[in-house]
Amino acid sequence: MRKDYKKLMVIGSGPIVIGQAAEFDFSGSQACKSLREEGYKTVLVNSNPATIQTDIDMADSVYIEPLQADIVAKIVEKEGVDGIMAGMGGQTALNICSELAENGTLDRLGVHLLGTQPEAIAMSEDRELFKETMEKIGEPVPLSRTVTSIDEAIEAANAIGKYPVLVRPAYTLGGTGGGIAYNEEELRDICGRGLAYSRIHQVLIEESVLGWKEYEYEVMRDHNDNCIIICNMENLDAMGIHTGESIVCAPCLTLSDRDHQRLRDASLKIIRTLNIEGGCNVQFAFNPANGDYRVIEVNPRVSRSSALASKATGYPIARVSAKIAVGYTLDEIPNKVTGTTFAAFEPAVDYVVLKIPRWPFDKFRTVDRHLGTQMKSTGEIMAIGRTFEEAILKGIRSLEIGVMHLDRVDMTDEEIREELVHATDKRIFAMAEALRRGMTPEEVSDLAKWDVFFVRKLKNIVDMEARISAGPLTPELLKEAKSMGFADAVIARLSGTDEMSVRKVRKETGITPVYKMVDTCAGEFEAKTPYFYSTYGRTSEHRRDPEKKSIVIIGGGPIRIGQGIEFDYSCVHSVMALQDAGVDAVIINNNPETVSTDFDISDRLYFEPLTLEDVLNVVEAEQADGVICQYGGQTSVNLAVDLENALKGTGTRILGTSPDNMDVAEDRRRFSKLMDELGISQPESGTGYSFEEAKAIAEGIGYPVLVRPSYVLGGRAMEIVYSTDELKTYVETAVKVSRNHPILVDKYLTKAIELDVDLLCDGTDVFVGGIMEHVEYAGVHSGDATMVLPPFTLSQKNIDEVLEISRKVALALGIRGLMNLQLAVKDDRIFMIEANPRSSRTVPFISKATGIPLAKISTQIMLGKTLKELGLGSGYKTLDHYAIKASVFPFLKLVGVDSILTPEMKSTGEVMGIDDDFDTACYKALIAAGDKLPTEGGVYITVNDEDKPNILPAAKALAEMGFTIYATKGTSTFLRNNGLQVTTVFKIKENKGIDGLSLMRQGKINLIINTPSLRSGAIRDGSTMRRLAVELEIPSMTTVQGANIAVAAIKVARGRTVGVRSMKDFHV
Amino acid sequence: MARNYLVLEDGTVLEGEAFGYDSSDFGEVVFSTGMDGYQEALTDPSFRGQILMLTYPLVGNYGISDEADQSDGVHVRGLVVREYCKEPSPMYGGRTLDDYMKAHRVPGISGIDTRELVIKTRSKGTFKGAIVKEGTDLEATVSKLKEMPSPLDANLVAEVSCRKPYEVGGGRDLTVGLLDCGTKKSIVEQLALRYNVKVFPYDTTAQEIVDSGVDGVMVSNGPGNPSHEAIMGTVVKTMSDLASQKPIMGICFGSQIIALAFGGSTYKMKFGHRGSNQPVKLEGKMYVTSQNHGFAVDADSLDGTGLEVNQININDGTVEGVKHRDLPVFTCQYHPEANPGPLDTRFLFDRFGRMMEAER
Repeated sequence: MRKDYKKLMVIGSGPIVIGQAAEFDFSGSQACKSLREEGYKTVLVNSNPATIQTDIDMADSVYIEPLQADIVAKIVEKEGVDGIMAGMGGQTALNICSELAENGTLDRLGVHLLGTQPEAIAMSEDRELFKETMEKIGEPVPLSRTVTSIDEAIEAANAIGKYPVLVRPAYTLGGTGGGIAYNEEELRDICGRGLAYSRIHQVLIEESVLGWKEYEYEVMRDHNDNCIIICNMENLDAMGIHTGESIVCAPCLTLSDRDHQRLRDASLKIIRTLNIEGGCNVQFAFNPANGDYRVIEVNPRVSRSSALASKATGYPIARVSAKIAVGYTLDEIPNKVTGTTFAAFEPAVDYVVLKIPRWPFDKFRTVDRHLGTQMKSTGEIMAIGRTFEEAILKGIRSLEIGVMHLDRVDMTDEEIREELVHATDKRIFAMAEALRRGMTPEEVSDLAKWDVFFVRKLKNIVDMEARISAGPLTPELLKEAKSMGFADAVIARLSGTDEMSVRKVRKETGITPVYKMVDTCAGEFEAKTPYFYSTYGRTSEHRRDPEKKSIVIIGGGPIRIGQGIEFDYSCVHSVMALQDAGVDAVIINNNPETVSTDFDISDRLYFEPLTLEDVLNVVEAEQADGVICQYGGQTSVNLAVDLENALKGTGTRILGTSPDNMDVAEDRRRFSKLMDELGISQPESGTGYSFEEAKAIAEGIGYPVLVRPSYVLGGRAMEIVYSTDELKTYVETAVKVSRNHPILVDKYLTKAIELDVDLLCDGTDVFVGGIMEHVEYAGVHSGDATMVLPPFTLSQKNIDEVLEISRKVALALGIRGLMNLQLAVKDDRIFMIEANPRSSRTVPFISKATGIPLAKISTQIMLGKTLKELGLGSGYKTLDHYAIKASVFPFLKLVGVDSILTPEMKSTGEVMGIDDDFDTACYKALIAAGDKLPTEGGVYITVNDEDKPNILPAAKALAEMGFTIYATKGTSTFLRNNGLQVTTVFKIKENKGIDGLSLMRQGKINLIINTPSLRSGAIRDGSTMRRLAVELEIPSMTTVQGANIAVAAIKVARGRTVGVRSMKDFHV
Repeated sequence: MARNYLVLEDGTVLEGEAFGYDSSDFGEVVFSTGMDGYQEALTDPSFRGQILMLTYPLVGNYGISDEADQSDGVHVRGLVVREYCKEPSPMYGGRTLDDYMKAHRVPGISGIDTRELVIKTRSKGTFKGAIVKEGTDLEATVSKLKEMPSPLDANLVAEVSCRKPYEVGGGRDLTVGLLDCGTKKSIVEQLALRYNVKVFPYDTTAQEIVDSGVDGVMVSNGPGNPSHEAIMGTVVKTMSDLASQKPIMGICFGSQIIALAFGGSTYKMKFGHRGSNQPVKLEGKMYVTSQNHGFAVDADSLDGTGLEVNQININDGTVEGVKHRDLPVFTCQYHPEANPGPLDTRFLFDRFGRMMEAER
């Protein structure tokens, strides 16, 4: 039964980081809706503006504030919250709740934790306590010992008796700082790092169960002690690879009923012991040789796995967890999927689900690609099929890594064997290749420690390739290949024809996909969920409403660097706008973490890869009236032209900006021509088809220049080069230049201010939602830059010019909906950098900062409304407060990435700091992004000559606040000459005694201001220092503007007068 | 690759790949939603007379293990799957489902859009059907199916009950008499973990059971229609005679028998409950249960019998168990012995023991 609470708080998980992605927006949003349904007043707090849960109407009060215990406490007090849902915001929310419990805030304010209790958090997070608890209930755990020093760690490893041993730090995200030590030396190294990352300076040294199978159970429990399993999952990769890094299938495919029931029973016992009310995840290692198992880990909350389990089964775990947390029992909660049954049952599925992680190695070429206990993936995809082969191939082409299939890999036999043993992201491709080269499934299985059951499925795929290649492509063979999930494009490649011909033959012979429903019950009950996946069978279950229009929105696919949760946010808003207009909104997407793939968001959800074939199939099955390509980021934009061609002569239109106009914006030559016609300046540029040509262009324009390959989008492999030597290195190492693959050379505008503009256009009027001024100079990818809305240094004249340019470009491109522009201001002149004819990464940020739902309005424009009808017309939204977007980077987890910001995007997520005054907004943004701002201590300053005069105000302010200033010779002389007391230290490269590095290690430096010289090679010099700063978590500013912002924020931090304000206070 | 056909009485004919034994057979086509436990299902005597269709599309993945058998033979008349696994995981020895079905002379058909048939069954009720070999006259098969009586009209219990009494275990305080209507081995195992077990053929009389000196009587699961005249004249009569003499527990078919013995009635469900995820409410709490039944106790028929419904299915409100107001008699429509399925309700075996203890 429902318990009484005055007001309930849901804590989000903050910015997207490796280990905490969009799954917590999904679970938090479900929880908010679930609680409001029950009539509770709700409060939501999250620092991430790109989430659906921070929409103003998701809770009675929404706070976009830093996720820190003190700030959360302020909100609790201000709002009169008397219950907090701890389990919806990942480790971040659990840690805040632990802290509020430990420091007595919960007791002082009379607040209850709902669902997950502090004791359960402690028991599952504190390794020693966990072990004790498991031993008490007779559940086996790996032998282990908790240590707080390296010496103790070595002793513990000796007691366990054999290497390798696992090192697991307590209280960290996604296994940060953990690892496998194969000998004492490695143990020293890994343990040192682990201790540093642990919130309580504690790591666990543990018996290795490497090579055992890994199974996971998603469990639910209510206060009446009713327990159920939602789903079990099998990691294809054996123990030793983090479950977030593993390919996972659901349900388990190789476990007998007897063993399944043993693990199920153990899971129930555990959730009962931890007294969790809500969802929980239990991970087991299972020894295939003798059936022994060990309990590896328990997550006392909803998790990435529970999001996956929700999407895999249709069972809304977060929604039900929220209801349980307020006192309902499972048998009282209706099953929304069937509409006729209750939440008290265990889902039965009748398909195969596969999850494949999406790794960022395409962006980070220098990072060690090996998979282990440290998570490196930024996102994941899910695929559903009626055969394993179908699911895995759909999964592969959902990854957005430019492959449609288990493509061949260019590796020697030796490299393949190495890859099988020491997995990277390429292992599954190497497995297929090994099979093609004649290795047996048993051999592959032996090396890779996969159950041969799964390897044989890959063998089936490889065998089918050979059959198609051998021909002829009979209807029977085609049908068999399609049932195995082969894409038309792949069949075409193998049989020497083209994709559209295969499609034509296929349709002529009646081989078209059917759409089956995900219904939680394997068809036993009639279900109402509009959630489908394609397969090749006899009958389809999707039904469109003949009375209503059907419009398909193409989603954004997996979260990766460059395409994050922001695009999902816009997709969801587009859905809402369509529904408001009485149109059936249809989503196609394959990301299990997101809100867009929640079954009750759209009118019909198709869980599919986002390739031309898969999208066309859905569009045809739906007989859709329209397709929207503007919201799924580059994934959907890239499909626009092909879709339009394929849909010619049908009743389906591409809505919004025409694909041809989108192409003008995307095609460099067409776009440059348009800019010339409009009289808008662009940085000088050229296209080089050889190194010599590129060199000639660069010398003609003058260094520095920005170089990038023409055939890769999204800032990948983009660099600033300062000399011919660097250009040479670039073409030799990063990008091969050739007749077919030219490189683009642009003048790099040094010390220019960069701007992002997001605007709406209906063909007549242009409404600028916001102009965001970057804090860093142009040359830092806009996805990484710190941005300020409204502009904070720009003159009114410049702003007017920007508005005029925006208007001209939008009208010239015939934009219907959203467009994003990137501009630079150099010497009072405005330059066009690029135009993106779609919803951009900054749309949710501006929408939150201004209160104008840009993505919804854009959808209304696509449906034919005008900006005037929508009450906006032409104009520009001015603000009387500041919103600052700061980015969050994966440097700590990805060893080998330089933390310097460049034209190539590196951040995984973003936060927003919003407040009336600029300084406070800066402060909130920086601490929300995880910067540990010092209020006292030492600051290390080393800046280039040009920056020396500019850094003076910041240095002075820091000195006045009592910071000790350390500086290298040049900087220190300059500062001393200007009346500051400075301690001079050696430059690091001088390699003499006391330098910046040793001071950092001694803990004397709490802030670094380091602006590298803008000349050849200089940027690499500081990389050792930056790496150390990342590891020691010392905030490091690499631009003067960044330093000024940090100083402003430190002033606020020292003043401690920060208030909290809900979004309604800003916008209503 | 040899082909088989799945033929339904409504004229549906589906072609698929043949596996298992090279033969044709017919039965009532039922579906089970359990995602594993195929071997337990194949050997569950309650499936006598039925063609089993599994909703999980991949079947046979983990092979065959002796300990999974629920009886000495395979009772289903045929198996319908989306895909059967030709080369299972080696984790349990790697023996194949195909070989197992060949050895037990059961035909299978693979490559069927099973979900389509499940939805059809869900809306229209179960069909009579046949798995037939390539070359069979399909139209004639349809006509034959239409005309033939339901396989459940036969006395299926007689085919699966033991012929002679036997005993299992020993040295325990209490002795349970198990009236075998086609019991699963795991019921016997669960009982034997706790009690001495005397197993009786289904047509044993009350007197014989009383004379054997048991402390309580359990009626097992079993196939077919519980109100079949051959059953009414044997098991139902026996239990009616025993009603006030011994503590009684019934499982599945046994639950229906006890309702009939006390004067209640049963009915055939549209398509039954088969799977490992059925939620049951008992004494305010919910349990996930393993089920396999196509008949159920009619709750309204229990008025005046002394029995009352104390367990219901949370999904559809059907009777999941009854108990007597005054006598030590209770039943469950599901399988507390699991195999396949959850172990949540094993405590019922202990509860039965306490009942026997109290009555001694």
